[in-house]
Amino acid sequence: MASAELPLTVPLIQGDKRLSEVTEEVCRPLERRPSGLWWAALGVSLAVLLTGAAAIGYQIATGIGTWGLNNTVGWAFDITNFVFWIGIGHAGTLISAILFLLRQKWRTSVNRSAEAMTLIAVMCAGLFPLIHMGRPWLAYWVFPYPNFRGPLWINFRSPLAWDAFAISTYFIISLLFWYVGLLPDLATLRDRTPPGLRRTLYAWFSLGWNGSCRTWQHYESLYMLLAGLATPLVVSVHTIVSFDFATAVIPGWHTTIFPPYFVAGAIFSGMALVLVLMILARKLMQLEDYITRRHVDVMSKIVLATSGMVGLAYLTEFFTALYSGNPYEQFAFLNRARGPFGWGYGIMLACNVLIPQLFWFRKVRAHLGAVFVICVLVNVGMWFERFVIIVTSLHRDFLPASWADYAPTSIEIATLAGSFGLFFTLFLLFCRYLPVIAIGEVKGVLRVGREN
Amino acid sequence: MSSESRYWKSLPEREQTAAFVRESREEFPALPPELPGDRSRRAFLRAAGFTLAGAAAAGCSRAPVEKALPLLVQPEFLTPGRAYHYASTCGGCAAGCGLLVKCRDGRPIKLEGHPAHPLSRGGLCAVGQASLLELYDSRRLTGPLIDGEAAAWEQVDAVVMAALERARAGGGLVCYLSDSILSPTKRALIARFLSGFPNRRHVIYDPLSAAAILAAHERTHGVRVLPHYRLERAEMLLGLEADFLGTWIAPVEFTAAYSAARNLEAETPRLSYHVQLEARLSLTGSKADVRHALPPGALGAVLNHLLLRIAGQAGAALGWSDPGAAPLPAAVLDELAARLWESRGRSLVLCGEEDTATQTLANALNHLLGNYGHTLELAAPSYQRQGSDADLQALWREVAAGQVAALLVDGVDPLADLPDGARLAEHLRQVPLRISFRDHLDETARAAQYVCPDLHYLEAWGDAEPVSGVVSLAQPCMAPLGNRRAVLETLAAWSGPPQSAYEQIRGHWEQQIFPRGSGENRENRSFGEFWDRCLHDGFAVVEAESPVVQTFQLAALEPVPPWQPPGEGELALVLYPKVGLLDGRHAGNPWLQELPDPISKVTWDNYACLAPATAARLGLAEEEVVRLEARAADGRVQALELPVFLQPGQQQQTVAVALGYGRRETERFAGIGPPWLEARPTVGADGRVGKNAAPLLEWQEGTLRRSGRAVRLTPTGRRQRLASTQSHHTLTVPEHLRLPDMPSRPIIQETTWAAWQQDPQAGAVGHGLPEADLWPRDHPFLGHRWGMVIDLGACTGCSACVIACQAENNVPVVGKDEVARKRAMHWLRLDRYYSEPEGRLEVAHQPMLCQHCEHAPCETVCPVLATVHSEEGLNQQIYNRCVGTRYCANNCPYKVRRFNWFDYPRRDPLASLVLNPDVTVRSRGVMEKCTFCVQRIQDGKAEAQRQGRPLADGAIQTACQQSCPAQAIVFGDVNDPASRVSRLARSGRHYRVLEELNVRPAVGYLRIVRNRPQPAPQEGDHHAHG
Repeated sequence: MASAELPLTVPLIQGDKRLSEVTEEVCRPLERRPSGLWWAALGVSLAVLLTGAAAIGYQIATGIGTWGLNNTVGWAFDITNFVFWIGIGHAGTLISAILFLLRQKWRTSVNRSAEAMTLIAVMCAGLFPLIHMGRPWLAYWVFPYPNFRGPLWINFRSPLAWDAFAISTYFIISLLFWYVGLLPDLATLRDRTPPGLRRTLYAWFSLGWNGSCRTWQHYESLYMLLAGLATPLVVSVHTIVSFDFATAVIPGWHTTIFPPYFVAGAIFSGMALVLVLMILARKLMQLEDYITRRHVDVMSKIVLATSGMVGLAYLTEFFTALYSGNPYEQFAFLNRARGPFGWGYGIMLACNVLIPQLFWFRKVRAHLGAVFVICVLVNVGMWFERFVIIVTSLHRDFLPASWADYAPTSIEIATLAGSFGLFFTLFLLFCRYLPVIAIGEVKGVLRVGREN
Repeated sequence: MSSESRYWKSLPEREQTAAFVRESREEFPALPPELPGDRSRRAFLRAAGFTLAGAAAAGCSRAPVEKALPLLVQPEFLTPGRAYHYASTCGGCAAGCGLLVKCRDGRPIKLEGHPAHPLSRGGLCAVGQASLLELYDSRRLTGPLIDGEAAAWEQVDAVVMAALERARAGGGLVCYLSDSILSPTKRALIARFLSGFPNRRHVIYDPLSAAAILAAHERTHGVRVLPHYRLERAEMLLGLEADFLGTWIAPVEFTAAYSAARNLEAETPRLSYHVQLEARLSLTGSKADVRHALPPGALGAVLNHLLLRIAGQAGAALGWSDPGAAPLPAAVLDELAARLWESRGRSLVLCGEEDTATQTLANALNHLLGNYGHTLELAAPSYQRQGSDADLQALWREVAAGQVAALLVDGVDPLADLPDGARLAEHLRQVPLRISFRDHLDETARAAQYVCPDLHYLEAWGDAEPVSGVVSLAQPCMAPLGNRRAVLETLAAWSGPPQSAYEQIRGHWEQQIFPRGSGENRENRSFGEFWDRCLHDGFAVVEAESPVVQTFQLAALEPVPPWQPPGEGELALVLYPKVGLLDGRHAGNPWLQELPDPISKVTWDNYACLAPATAARLGLAEEEVVRLEARAADGRVQALELPVFLQPGQQQQTVAVALGYGRRETERFAGIGPPWLEARPTVGADGRVGKNAAPLLEWQEGTLRRSGRAVRLTPTGRRQRLASTQSHHTLTVPEHLRLPDMPSRPIIQETTWAAWQQDPQAGAVGHGLPEADLWPRDHPFLGHRWGMVIDLGACTGCSACVIACQAENNVPVVGKDEVARKRAMHWLRLDRYYSEPEGRLEVAHQPMLCQHCEHAPCETVCPVLATVHSEEGLNQQIYNRCVGTRYCANNCPYKVRRFNWFDYPRRDPLASLVLNPDVTVRSRGVMEKCTFCVQRIQDGKAEAQRQGRPLADGAIQTACQQSCPAQAIVFGDVNDPASRVSRLARSGRHYRVLEELNVRPAVGYLRIVRNRPQPAPQEGDHHAHG
């Protein structure tokens, strides 16, 4: 029985580590030569990234026409990818900020890499609003800045303007939060690294951390404040992203359920991707003692809970459409499920609602391979959720005469792949040059000093 | 410190002399004493200021005056930036509509219908609008050719005149082959030119022939003329295969007249009753109150039956009484005959069948109904079709027999228009002297030794008499481009002293037209005044030349033999002209190629139209390439491979194919459209757009038949994508995507004549705009507020507005692939919806353009304020500010916004001359859409201000409104309660599309009112009550 042991005494980190062991084990992978596997992974990621970059370059040089969009479907892969990546970028801050404030100590092993994942995902996401513009070289016009064009101001009523603020704010806060959390570890690395460029850089970025009591005190109050700042952002960013659709008049978009639905979906997909990365990292970087099965179990439960939330949202949407008596709304949802993109809806339902139900079983949660596969599928499903929302709502709206179909071009597919290339390239670099586990925080949850 | 030893440097220092003490206070004691004067900061600034001012003043001094004299002489009457309109005559087809040519900076930039013209009444069709583009066609020949080599006119004249002399001496046939010539001057000149040859003939043929009508009138009335149809006087119209609203003879004139007879907003509302019998769904059939799909050959049998019934009513004796099998139920025929007889003298039977016997019966029907002299006139006949298929056939026989010494071809391309072009070309090459007047190298011009390119009608003098008594002038609106010469001048040079076209026309008018001037035209005026008046007005109404008409001989009538349906596994072929492309003379015009067919909505291709049931029977799907094979009388097989298009309303035993495609001119479109990785070419594998269906035309009894030929269809297993602008065709959503009680979308609203007379608001769906508004009215709209009303009952879907908008607003052509990707750029599209109440096919056309919503969904979502509302109610798009997020287009419920997906190439500098300088050419990455022709609004307001009077209602016309032959579009100030648009907005038929969204569109629509037969008590009701 679990009650035989008080929950507080269940070790979060296995192996009964000493403090120096933690430092040693987390830092060691950064100090030895990269493995062949790492090089291979980086090579593949870079190749995919370069393909995507070439596609984007071609698209910017030639025109948005190189995408499969048309007069009726003005957004498809571009905004789907954007919302997908923004969603991914939610788990990091959730783990860091909200779980930190809720004193969920288990978060310490995963928060660093989850935050890094967030930052990288937000970078991937930020790419799409930029390149989806017809004239991306004028993208800075969406920010209000003093100018001599009138002066021209932006449209504060436009959700796209809100997006620009929300995403940039989120990126800045996430970056700060991640960086501040890194400071003690950067100092640790600085102290371990022999003199050279690397050491100089670690030293510069550790901002003169000296580990004194005062430094720690400042650090912790700053970290707490940033966590407080970041917490509302977890909710606000995806709420605002959902406003892109919710404030529109298009049936299938124009719905008040979107903010909670999108936030739940974002946490869902973000957690799933954190799990995917963690399962890989603990295996490849021998971090089994830090990222334990308990972590996988806990995060699988979050995935299960959020899966239930999005499932509820899907049902609610259909109910609202039925209950509204609005024929356009009713058609939009029937078309979503049974129209030309019904297969996308099917993938979405299967991956987001049906398959995660397996997490009710402890055995599934304990089976790393199963968790890995389910989480990959969740991300596929969540990509399709955004695709279904965007494309099926647009392609058949009010006037049947303007109904159209949509099919992606090779350029769009390459761009989507390229964003994954960017993500994995940056993540691999992160794993190589920064500690993937928050050494300082993990030390705080060790049993050291609590034995008696 | 006093104890320290004190050093000194000099004796004066030691002594501390007064001079030493003074000097030692100075910083630099060795310097000379201070300069005199004030050296304060203020003094410095004063001096510096003076110096600066002095230098500036010196710089301002007037340089030696050098007068530069620019070599720029402002042309008289021409103000740069100001538009001038010239009245002229359209040369797009042989209808001869009145034109106003809008010129800017010395070149025409837009064609408009002439509102005062008695025939066209202000409208101008898509072809007429687009003919402007051909003026700036850089592929036109720039000068004459001898055997394909460029030559000088003197050279050509010398060689041709020598050759003509040989022909004259040899006594061989000299033949001038042309289409219908509206110009009386040109007809006279051709006659004069030919009179010099002993053996001569002027053969006229029209690729879209009405020769059977002329032949029938020769038979029944003794005159070979085309009657002038007066549709505005008809209360009952029976159309038999005659697509008079789309392509038949003079569609603009007929549309204007048709809508005059169906005007519900007039003082006394009228709604004529229109029945159409046809094999394929034509534009005209789509507007008919009742339409029956009949195979092409069955119309004769219908006429047999109707004639028997009408003759019975009229008490006239026919020589026969057996009409054969009836292709329509007897009740339908009875009802038709009753309605015709009821409105005798005010009814009209229009027959488009290329069969003299059928046309003869149509004449008899019109005669018995007493329609001659009322709804169709022979006293002032039409010259819009003069061709004779029999003459043409005779000519080709002579050509084949080597009896023709010289052939001059003008305005037609027989090698492409006629069946068996390859064999004709062989025969043609035996003609010793072959001359073409075409301004581009078509098939016939390639076979000619001498090509003497004619001028475009907008750069030449011309005249026209489309209907006897209505004469008009065409004046050159710009100096001719290149080294072309008007046919008038070429022929004059070859037949006597060279004479300019202007002299010839003026001379002819003085001698022939002016004496026909009636009343005010002649008596009080000199010819000079008459001429100036005509030039200013563009037209004049003079005495008609009435032919002598014989009495009608009813007894000589024969019933049309019954139609032989196609054999097992065969279909009857219907070859038809498409709105825009017509016979293919404008096949090189990209505007017309990209104009969606008003019915099929397909661009850039022709295809085999099949009824869905027929296709299902044959196991064919849309876009599947099918092989059409026809067996000629001599056993040869002619074949054509075309993609299948499923056309509701098509008769099930027929297959319809558009003429005018597969032309050599379309090879130019190989590179059209934006080039990119996945771009697909506009032209087919043979390098041309579509397939030429002319080889399937058939000679029969002296007429060139467009329909009735039996063809066999075999699938090829290949597919070909059709570029359609509309993929979904009904307002009812697919069966599996609807709830049981889901209502149809009230986008098209309609009612019946009977219901409308009871209640002008009959057919209304929804509640209208809510009175209450959650938001305070932040836009007071104090001055003008622009709005539009479109009468869906009047709109025929003819698509003139689409091309007018394209010409006015510099809308680019994007090519077939882009259209297929649903990226057509037309700002105004025509939505076409089918419905099938009680098994009848009904069609509604709906012009859809930016609705300029008061609560515009596009405006709130643009992050950079690139689309905003003007204080006059316009939804404005600011191209410079647009960053291209496309959010506005996504959020537009009407999907009328157009995005510049690429930089659409405008490489041809000559073609760029057609651009309207008042409208920005949009670059890549920006959104665009209908502006309500804001440049015209500004121009109208400026003009009113310049003249110091308030803006009159109707002074501003949008391009679409101006071109509309049916006058279905009304634009104006809705803040002015007396304006036409305000009055129409108060009409009982007025509704707004998607008004339940409360976006408050500024465009309203008037409900369709169909003149259905009085609703008979429903059979079901009988059962229920009985």
